[in-house]
Amino acid sequence: MIIKVKNISKSYQKTGRGVLALDDISFEINEGDFVTITGQSGSGKTTLLLSLAGLIKITGGQIHFNNFRIDNANDKYLSDFRKKYVGFVMQSFALIPYLTALENIMLPLAISKISKKEKIKKANTLIELVGLEDRIYHFPRELSAGQQQRIAIARALINEPSLILADEPTGNLDPSLSTDIMNLLKKINNEKHVTILMVTHSPVAAEYGSKKIHLHDGKIISY
Amino acid sequence: MNIRTLVWLEFKQHKSQLISGLLAITLGIAVIVGIRSVSIVSEKAVAVNLDNLGANILVLPQSSNVDNYYAADIDAPTIPEEYVDRIVSSNLSGVDNLSPKLTRRTKIGNENVVLTGILPKNEITSKPMWQQSGLLGNELKANCAPTNSENQSNGYEDEKLQRKVIDSLGADECLVGYAISQKLKLKEGGSIEILGENFRVSRVINETGTVDDDRIFIHLRKAQELLKIPDQVSAIEIMGCCNAISDGLLGKLRNILPDTKITTIGQIVSTQIQTNKMMRNISLIFLIIIIFVGGISIGNFMWANVNERRKEIGMFRMIGFSKTIIYRMFLLKAFMLGILGGIIGYIFGTLAAVWLGPKLAGFSVNPLPNLIAVSLLISIGVSILGTLIPAYLAGRIEPFSNMQEE
Ligand SMILES: Nc1ncnc2c1ncn2[C@@H]1O[C@H](COP(=O)(O)OP(=O)(O)O)[C@@H](O)[C@H]1O
Ligand SMILES: [Mg+2]
Repeated sequence: MIIKVKNISKSYQKTGRGVLALDDISFEINEGDFVTITGQSGSGKTTLLLSLAGLIKITGGQIHFNNFRIDNANDKYLSDFRKKYVGFVMQSFALIPYLTALENIMLPLAISKISKKEKIKKANTLIELVGLEDRIYHFPRELSAGQQQRIAIARALINEPSLILADEPTGNLDPSLSTDIMNLLKKINNEKHVTILMVTHSPVAAEYGSKKIHLHDGKIISY
Repeated sequence: MNIRTLVWLEFKQHKSQLISGLLAITLGIAVIVGIRSVSIVSEKAVAVNLDNLGANILVLPQSSNVDNYYAADIDAPTIPEEYVDRIVSSNLSGVDNLSPKLTRRTKIGNENVVLTGILPKNEITSKPMWQQSGLLGNELKANCAPTNSENQSNGYEDEKLQRKVIDSLGADECLVGYAISQKLKLKEGGSIEILGENFRVSRVINETGTVDDDRIFIHLRKAQELLKIPDQVSAIEIMGCCNAISDGLLGKLRNILPDTKITTIGQIVSTQIQTNKMMRNISLIFLIIIIFVGGISIGNFMWANVNERRKEIGMFRMIGFSKTIIYRMFLLKAFMLGILGGIIGYIFGTLAAVWLGPKLAGFSVNPLPNLIAVSLLISIGVSILGTLIPAYLAGRIEPFSNMQEE
């Protein structure tokens, strides 16, 4: 078991009145699972991902990652945890405009102690995995949306994480590109045994999951 | 890819923004460097003067400007040379020696030079700077410029020869200041054309660190002829004895020489010391201004940079950059900015001083390499100071801004 979530809740304070974004949620995820999370806009999907990464503080419950509690860890510990174990893929790609494709992939290694040569080697391996070895020196603006998302996925993999958190990774892509990206994620899940938690709007994309969580108003409706 | 290259790649991005962020600090440093480069020459001149009270009374035209002793006679209006005779014939006690001079700025090739006509023997007896010691019987312990004091024997080992040369400065001979000899590549025994006439370089004068380094001395008669200013001089230097000065020699001189400004070197030097003090105060004011204005403008620039990169910084935080690393990134950027500002400021300040010095102050200004270190120190310090708050705020950016601001 890689993630264990016990009775977590999260309420945001919004000008006086609180919004309960997560309402007493519990579930477990095993290593190698491909979990898709669906639900209406505002149902708490993003909030759930952020909580799992320790990026926001939950207001109740516990989150365990490989027996470590991350819901009450400090910033330094959490930075380290994210660096070592978690890769992120976002709807907006979040690539750095002034870095080339290869440099974007290497970005998380900027704070790692391995040699420059090794960093480049790792990044090259991943750019091949996502099929963009002929775009190494392109800047994000010179790449199509689908290519940008591939670079972002390669970046998420550079630290060899055990968990990938993806928030609507195909939200900005048209259907055929979405299929490509979903196949890529599936391949990563199968070949690298990386656990994936993916939030999606698209019922088609949701079908890729081996487990499916459906949220409504901060509660799990089906699992 | 490491933090340094990451910061550097971002740094190179918006060059025009960088310039505007740096403007205040660069300008401030340029002013400080400029003032310092100019005033160090003037300070050296003061030191030289105090150590070598050669001619200690200066007779100048009424309207001349005495803010700067060494430049006081340059391009000043003139007085009749006949005044020399008046002084001599009036038999004033306490006047030991006289040295009339005519000085004008002129060009040789592309170089600006200060051409001074002198009467050789008088000039040498009233200007101990050139003779090092012993001539007037009193020991001159101090020396003109540091360069001279370290090796007295440097250049001219035979002082008698040196004196003889000056004594016998002929109509076709000239003495050349050190800086000019360098600029025009002149050697002793070589020849040079001044205002259409050929002169033989009979000596290159040791470096003094003053405007004298830019001077060419020729015979007074020749200078009057070539400059077409017959029977006029721009200054008369008088060796007076101290008691006589306090006994009212100045007043007596004023009586016999109308329309002149008669002053002692002591007075001029003290004026110059005041000018130098003022320069230092101006530098200090500028230092305070750049700390505030420069610091604030850098802070403003950095804050804009932080804001514009909120998502990017959130992204860094998300993939595991700690707050400390975010602080480091911005301080590193401030450091780079400081280096850039310091270097550009130094270059502009030095260029301005070297270019404007001769035009405004009348003496040549040399670049001061030491000021690079000072410029960098100030610039980096101010830049880092201004960045402290933006860097702190950057560290507080929430890591998830990428996911929520959609
Ligand atoms: N930073 C925030 N401050 C206040 N309320 C928020 C904040 N982020 C999200 N919410 C609220 O929490 C609920 C869940 O949001 P979110 O997790 O983003 O949903 P989803 O990703 O499923 O669209 C929504 O009602 C949203 O308005
Ligand atoms: Mg969302």
